[in-house]
Amino acid sequence: MNNGNILQGQNRMRAKLLSTIVVMTGLIFGILSFSPNILSLNHSASAMAQTDNSIGSSPFSLSNLIEQGSPYLGNLTAPITIIDFSDFQCHLCARHVKNAEPIINETYIQTGKIALVFKHLPNRGFDSMGAHLAAQCANEQGKFWQFYKVLYEKQKGIDSGWVNKVNLKMFASQISELEVKQFNTCFEAQRHKEFIDSDIRLANSQGFFDTPSFIIVNSIDGSNLEIIRGAQPFPAFQSVIEKKLDELKN
Amino acid sequence: MISLPLSFKVVFSTPMYILTAAAGAIPFWILFNVFDQLIFFEPIWIFYLPEDAIIGFILTTIVSILLGILASMNIYAIGHSRLKISRKSLFSGSSLSIISGVCSSCSSVGFLLISTFGSIGVITTNLLTIYQIPIRIISVAILIFALYYIHKRIVQSCIMDLRKDYM
Repeated sequence: MNNGNILQGQNRMRAKLLSTIVVMTGLIFGILSFSPNILSLNHSASAMAQTDNSIGSSPFSLSNLIEQGSPYLGNLTAPITIIDFSDFQCHLCARHVKNAEPIINETYIQTGKIALVFKHLPNRGFDSMGAHLAAQCANEQGKFWQFYKVLYEKQKGIDSGWVNKVNLKMFASQISELEVKQFNTCFEAQRHKEFIDSDIRLANSQGFFDTPSFIIVNSIDGSNLEIIRGAQPFPAFQSVIEKKLDELKN
Repeated sequence: MISLPLSFKVVFSTPMYILTAAAGAIPFWILFNVFDQLIFFEPIWIFYLPEDAIIGFILTTIVSILLGILASMNIYAIGHSRLKISRKSLFSGSSLSIISGVCSSCSSVGFLLISTFGSIGVITTNLLTIYQIPIRIISVAILIFALYYIHKRIVQSCIMDLRKDYM
């Protein structure tokens, strides 16, 4: 092989390497642009626009949310509200409940700075709706958060039968001071089906299909809406909450 | 006896191939961790590794590294081998590795399947979530197989080069 051929071969090689790197980088960034985190930028912007137009009658004001019958934690005078759209069968929701939520609770809910409102978004499996119906029945008796805790502690594979009717009733019976007969009547009658469906419609109207998803708003009028998607760690919530608290102070 | 490190030594003695491996591995590592919700870009850039994600994270890191190494070795083989690299070789190398790599992350893009395919999407997502770890182990196995295959090709071509030189 002469020197010219060798040089030609090397140049071809370099061109191949370069084109491979370019193609791979393009491919990765192309896929990344469709990832949930990036998508959230667009949804966030559209959701904000929707909410800013409807200040005053916002479905996200704390008083409206509580009036509708959504379970909540914290002080009614808390200036900021986190609205949590979750599914009891979603393992990422369980991750949030196990990791970020206890710190949020201790740092902001217990200190009266924020209120937490739960919204039902059962979409991870066919058994999810039953779990959410049962949880809302527990809420009738003021036992939602105990039931919520039990469900996330006992969470197993999606549609593996862990939230079938028998197990849901058994979980309810384990909650102290919960009237089982009243719970069973509510659960069997699917009393809160329409309420849960309306939560799903609300979530979908905001572009939420994945769980967990969070909306953080000013409690009083549901304005200044910000979205957090996914089971993000505490610092992500902290950054948004602190920013909002600062804005409210000024 | 032909050993695996020989092909490594041959390929990665050139810094360009180390760079190519890194250029292949790092974007995939980021991609997998975005799908697994371990890396977030909004509201702040953050990486976090909760206890329940450790096994998955280790497996996707292995997959990413293997993908990078394979991509680099394939490029080396195409550029250097006097043996004609067959389509089969390319398939066993890059294509399989990309398919298995993407598969290893698909369990966490279930919401896309659900919103696109409804009930069928739910069933698919459930299966992918339940079998997330086994799918990733299979991905690693496929990549190791592909790595062995491309290693054989590279070493074989080296032997042929040597024989040709002595003839």
